[in-house]
Amino acid sequence: MKYKKGRKRAAFGLMLTIVLTAMAGLKVGSFLPIVGDHNSPANSYVANYYIIHALEDTNSPNIVTAVLADYRGFDTLFETCVLFLAGLVVMTILPPQISPEQRKRLVKVDNHSFGGTVLDSSFRLVVPVIMIYGIYVLFHGEVSLGGGFQAGALLACAYLLDRIIPSFDNRLGVLWEEKAVVLAGIGTFFYAFTGMLPMFCGGKFLEFGKLPFGIFLREGTVQLHSAGILMVELGVTLCVMAIIISILEVVLERTDFEEWRKSE
Amino acid sequence: MPVVLLEGLLLMAMIAIAVAIIFGRSLLACVIIYCGFSLIAMLLYTVVGAADVAFTEAIIGTVSTVYFVIAIKSIGDKKGGTRR
Repeated sequence: MKYKKGRKRAAFGLMLTIVLTAMAGLKVGSFLPIVGDHNSPANSYVANYYIIHALEDTNSPNIVTAVLADYRGFDTLFETCVLFLAGLVVMTILPPQISPEQRKRLVKVDNHSFGGTVLDSSFRLVVPVIMIYGIYVLFHGEVSLGGGFQAGALLACAYLLDRIIPSFDNRLGVLWEEKAVVLAGIGTFFYAFTGMLPMFCGGKFLEFGKLPFGIFLREGTVQLHSAGILMVELGVTLCVMAIIISILEVVLERTDFEEWRKSE
Repeated sequence: MPVVLLEGLLLMAMIAIAVAIIFGRSLLACVIIYCGFSLIAMLLYTVVGAADVAFTEAIIGTVSTVYFVIAIKSIGDKKGGTRR
C-alpha cells in the first residue's frame, strides 16, 4: 500500500516536471528566430557560404549532401565510429551466451516467431518492398533526402521483421552478433579507407574529387564525387545495419518467449 | 498562422502522450504509446521542413519500439510487464 502511494507521488512529480519543462520550452521557443528568417544567425553566415560556394567547392549534386559528406565529412566519419563503439560496448556488457553448436539447434526450434496466417502473408508482401526501398535510399543518397543511416536502418528493419514474424521455415539466415560487429567494423573501415584513397593521388583526406578512378571517371566531375559519396554511404549503411542487428540478437538471445507464452 | 496552430496541436499531443506513458499500467501499452510519440515528432519535423530528419525518426521510432517490446519480454516479468 505504501509502495503504491510512493509510486503515485513519483508519477505526479514526473508529470509536473514534464509540464514545467514544456512550458519553459514554449517560453524559450518564443525567443528563437522564426523558421526561415533571413536575419537569423544560422541563415546569415554559414548557410550563405554553403549556398554560394557548394557547387564550385565540392561538385556535389545536392547542398545537403555537400554539407554532410564534404564540409562535415569528419563529423559523419566519427558518428559512424561512435555507432561501432556502441556495438562493441553492447557486446562487452552482454557477451554471447550460447555456443555455436547450440545455435544450430536453436534456429531449427525457433521460439522467437509469433506469426500466424495474417502476419505471414503481410510479411511476404511488406519485407521485399522494405528491402528494395532501403537499397533505393542508399543509391539515391547523394541526390535526395536519406542516405547511409536511413538505408541501414531500413535494411535492419527488414531483417528484424524476418527474425521475429514468420512462422514458416524458409527464412533468411541468422546474422549472429559477433559476425555483425565484424561487419560493422568493415563498414567503418570502408568509410575511412574511401577517405584515404584520394591521399594516394595528391588529394586531401575525404576529397572525393580526387578519387583514383581515372579509368572510368575524370577528376573533379560530379559523377566522381557521387561515386565517392556512394562508397562512403555503403560503409555507413553496413555499420548501422550491423549494429542494429547485433543489439537485436544480443537481446533476443536473453529472451524466453516460451515462458511468457505459458503465463498468458 | 495555420502552421503555428498545427505545431501547437502536435506539441500538446506530445505532452499528453508523455503524461499518458507515466500513468500507464501495462508496460507494453506504454511502449506502443511511445511509438505514437515518435510518430508525432516525425510530423513535427515534416511541418518544420526537415524531411530527412523526419525520415530517420520514422524508421528509428519503429525499430526502437521493437527493441522495447523484446526488452520487456526479456525482463522476465511473469505478468507480461505490468506495473504494480
